[in-house]
Amino acid sequence: MQVKSFMFDMIRSELEDVVGVENVSTSEVDRASYTVDYFWLSRMWQDRGAEGPKPDIIVRPGSSEEVSKVLKIANYYKIPVHTWGGGSGSQGGALPMAGGILLDMKRMNKLISIDLNSHSITAEAGMIFQQLEWYANEKGYSCMHIPSCLTCGTIGGALGHRGIGIFSSKYGKIDDQCMSMEVVLPNGDIINTLPVPKHAAGPDLNQIFIGSEGTLGIITKATFRLFELPKYMKHHAFLFKSMKDGLAAGRDIMQKTQPSIMRLFDEAETISIIKKIIGFEKRGAFLNLSVDGPDERLVDIQMEIIKEICAKYGAEDMGSEYGEKWYENRITFFYPDHIMDVPQMFGTMDTVADFGHVEEIYWAMKNAIESNFPGVRFIAHCSHWYGWGTMIYDRFIMDNPPEDKEEALRLHNQIWNTGVRAAMEHGGVINDHHGIGLKLSRLMKEQYGPAFQVMEGLKKSLDPNGIMNPYKLGL
Amino acid sequence: MISQNALRHAEKCRFCFMCRHLCPIQLQTGKEVNTPRAKGLLLSMVNKGAAEFDKDMAQTMYECLICDACVNDCATGYQPPLYIREARTEAVVNDLAPQAVMQLIENVDATGNIYGVQKPSFAQEGSDVLVYIGEVAACKVPQMAEGLLKVLAKAGVSAKVLDNEPASGVMLADLMGYVDEVAQQAKACAAAINATGIKTVVVLDSYDAEIMKQRYAQWGAEINAEIITATAYVAKLIEDGKLAAKAACGTLGACHDDDRLARTFYEFAPIRAIAKAAGYQLTEMFNKERLAKSCGSAVALAYMPNIVTKVAAGRWDDLARTEATAMLTASPEAYLCLSQATPEGKQVVDLYSALAE
Repeated sequence: MQVKSFMFDMIRSELEDVVGVENVSTSEVDRASYTVDYFWLSRMWQDRGAEGPKPDIIVRPGSSEEVSKVLKIANYYKIPVHTWGGGSGSQGGALPMAGGILLDMKRMNKLISIDLNSHSITAEAGMIFQQLEWYANEKGYSCMHIPSCLTCGTIGGALGHRGIGIFSSKYGKIDDQCMSMEVVLPNGDIINTLPVPKHAAGPDLNQIFIGSEGTLGIITKATFRLFELPKYMKHHAFLFKSMKDGLAAGRDIMQKTQPSIMRLFDEAETISIIKKIIGFEKRGAFLNLSVDGPDERLVDIQMEIIKEICAKYGAEDMGSEYGEKWYENRITFFYPDHIMDVPQMFGTMDTVADFGHVEEIYWAMKNAIESNFPGVRFIAHCSHWYGWGTMIYDRFIMDNPPEDKEEALRLHNQIWNTGVRAAMEHGGVINDHHGIGLKLSRLMKEQYGPAFQVMEGLKKSLDPNGIMNPYKLGL
Repeated sequence: MISQNALRHAEKCRFCFMCRHLCPIQLQTGKEVNTPRAKGLLLSMVNKGAAEFDKDMAQTMYECLICDACVNDCATGYQPPLYIREARTEAVVNDLAPQAVMQLIENVDATGNIYGVQKPSFAQEGSDVLVYIGEVAACKVPQMAEGLLKVLAKAGVSAKVLDNEPASGVMLADLMGYVDEVAQQAKACAAAINATGIKTVVVLDSYDAEIMKQRYAQWGAEINAEIITATAYVAKLIEDGKLAAKAACGTLGACHDDDRLARTFYEFAPIRAIAKAAGYQLTEMFNKERLAKSCGSAVALAYMPNIVTKVAAGRWDDLARTEATAMLTASPEAYLCLSQATPEGKQVVDLYSALAE
């Protein structure tokens, strides 16, 4: 649809009627602030002085009802709708690539309830997750969803891309922690998923909308499990001779005990980032972990078993000091000067696989990237573990990418295609917890094969006009 | 447009999302542009010729309290207020600042204070300490100034207050950055203080104390005396037994750590000692001390009252989640802002007046 003459102003006034004049903006300053998220491409584009993707109209709704009315308007006029929470996603999922309306959800940041009987907390989805965590902490509880973007992302953002926190190995991902949600469908209907997350009343609606990245609807409220704040937490570190030994030990640890944090770094990352942040000087595969619990005896006995497992695989026991240092600096890694930044080119491939494939995938990706792209470094760690496998937080870094922005974009995508295809060919899944967004959208059909028709069917049914977050998630 | 140093900070902040959860204006307005990241991004765009520094952008640079919550949070040490202040200088120089801001600057030119009035005088003679009242207390919260002077008298402190007390420069610095006019105000203020020969200056408004302690020397405006916050000074009088604690008043209160005490001076114990001595039973808000949420500043309240009132309401929300009925403050700026949004059944308490009664 082409908006001509004063039709744009007509639509704008309709939107103002819904959310108030002060919550609609078309100013250049507002529009410019949404052109860059945490995706390397949007950052590189800005760094080279080029114009990023701008929305046409910014709308800041204050309630689910307002979201509903905005979507009805958008559907009538067939205007693209992009949802923006904290904007801190690394996959370009929030970028307004098709222009149109950008719904900034941050006004919807109210705490709705805390149920200490059921151990749950409910809030609007535009709340920054740290705020939700503080509300839980005030009562002596925690959501135990503590990602590095805790202070950056919103509840809706964490749900939208299937986020994860550092305590995931014990407390699960956001999709394990979310109990129920309110979602506004593209047609404006406000629906609720079932009030509890476990049932036999058909497929789980939560899991349809979690990870849908704003392509199937807009999450407006969510209820999460609460956990008592751990009374005891102990940290430890080990050094393995190889990733192979570290992966085997990690597998046994996950299958015999329950650490809340476990991170295994390959040698390239051990001698670079780990050395820089916590001052660890040795070569090898560094592993830090944390065990928590309500009773110190439970923590101690698990730690003893973990030490035995690590000894079995030839690990050097580095004591608690470096485990504690890692924990103290767990967020420091993500501040400027501690993390990669433009003009470097970089990306986090974030592959997940079972234990039967994960080591093979690590080597396949490392070889594919290092042999095909001279000047590109590959570093990796495994930061989130499951009983059946783990994820590889595999990063490529190029210090001197092409100066021409189109050439840089092309090379960036070639590296991604090569790395991700190597992972998929060896049994890996395209992403563990950053999501798909714009970055990996083109690879979704390759990942799913014929199964992708299920998602396409959902998209056609729920969003027949295709207005919701176009170009994302392969939909 | 802005200095290379300020630009370096902006360029580092433009892709960093880590501190937005602490920004009181972002939390209340929900606007992306009201994050330190967005302000850094916009200035980076201007530097690259990809955006124009126009009235809208200037307006954006004023939608910030300079409360330092972002600075306090940054693990690396980057400082959004650095580039925001310089952008304000640019806005004023190029006549792009909001009209409400320009009016305050004109008021300062005409009367020496942002309120554009003859600043009330609390002049008195004394020899132990010089009390610097500041324009917010003098013009808007006079009872707090009177309360402090009564408390000092009660403790047997001989306190002098200047007649025609000069501006500290803090208001102008927030409105137009650290420009020559601010340095001139600082020099005049330092000269007036030094002329008294008194060696202890008790500063009622922590915002004034900040600029005196942290900025004056770099402008050659040294004060030849110890600068001490009124909270720290009064707490010491209590500790030394020069002020007797009052009987319990039966009210449960929570102390609000104002922006400067919280994030410039890291001064937390004195206000609580004063509150206890004033008879209050204390509880705490969850976001306290260095993490205390700003309730606004007097200068921001003067040019964007609606937004600052929302920010103050946000602080009252923090209190509402405790059992406390009283928000306790010894800051005239906090008192003024909190008073704009006091909920029914709650009260904002000026601790000096409470102690003096």
